[in-house]
Amino acid sequence: MFDAIVMVDERFHGEGYQEGYEEGSSLGMIEGKQYGTFHGAKIGSEIGCYQGLAFARRCLLHGSATEKDSKKMKVLESFIGMIQKFPYADPTYDKLHEDLDRIRGKFKQLCSLLNVQPDFKISAEGSRLSY
Amino acid sequence: MSWFRAASLVQSPGEERDVFDEEADESALVQREWRSHMQRRVQEGYRDGIDAGKAVTLQQGFNQGYKEGAEVIINYGQLRGTLSALLSWCHLHDNSSALISKINNLLDAVGQCEEYVLRHLKSITPQPHVVDLLDSIQDMDLCHIAPAEEKIDEAKDERFYENNADFNKNCSKNLSGVDCSSLKCCRTQEHAHSENPSLTWILEQTASLVKQLGVPVDILQHLKQL
Repeated sequence: MFDAIVMVDERFHGEGYQEGYEEGSSLGMIEGKQYGTFHGAKIGSEIGCYQGLAFARRCLLHGSATEKDSKKMKVLESFIGMIQKFPYADPTYDKLHEDLDRIRGKFKQLCSLLNVQPDFKISAEGSRLSY
Repeated sequence: MSWFRAASLVQSPGEERDVFDEEADESALVQREWRSHMQRRVQEGYRDGIDAGKAVTLQQGFNQGYKEGAEVIINYGQLRGTLSALLSWCHLHDNSSALISKINNLLDAVGQCEEYVLRHLKSITPQPHVVDLLDSIQDMDLCHIAPAEEKIDEAKDERFYENNADFNKNCSKNLSGVDCSSLKCCRTQEHAHSENPSLTWILEQTASLVKQLGVPVDILQHLKQL
């Protein structure tokens, strides 16, 4: 008799659970996607900007053969190598923060070498990902 | 939940017994207690289920949204970076201020475009109000209606999603139409494209700017995939 009561209890709980689970699954998907889109867009915007800047710079530097420019070119090439290897659209990449910090560091170096102010609306600081 | 309703219906004739019968009164009380207990158990289960379901899909949703956001927005970032490079090149070579202000305008336009697209990417998913709705319906003891409402919401979500997907495709890949006429099917876009310069327009302007500056046209080569 007691067993039967406990079972009924479980059964009601289970019934609610199943309904809640389905609801929760779709809610989790929606919520997760919202956060994900926001963070992905932030990374995409930053990396895209680096790409655009670096490729355009390389193109502008091309053909110039002074010693100073060849040093710039070297740093630029290594920067391009870094951002090309960076899997910006993969949130499961475990070295995301590490790599991003390295890229940002390299970018700062490049900026001072090219004598440009990195002021194009990237809030590099404070845009650390948290999820 | 329907099972629970049926169970309580079967039990209800007990309440119609003689009101002066003391035994019957007591059993009705017990039944009421039992029913409210069961209801509590169902609700507890529901909450546990919500948490468990969310925990499973939250990361999955995050990953999906992340990828989508990164892949769409990177194009705008590239354009912004290219324009920034042109801007500093202009400063370095003392170009006319007219060109410099033009580049600044284009940069602003890219920023607007980016913001706009991001807003729409995020609005693919409406605010999570379904659970509140269901909760209040449950409190009102109208459980039979809940599944129907849910379905309507899901159907809506899918429709919005499709529209937005179309919109993304059109805005980021299909450059043939400047005014993106397919935007009209979307929810809040009636006045949108008059306020927002299209990416095609920005690209065209950038290309003509590059020619004016006399820098190699190759500079825009990496933007081809836009």
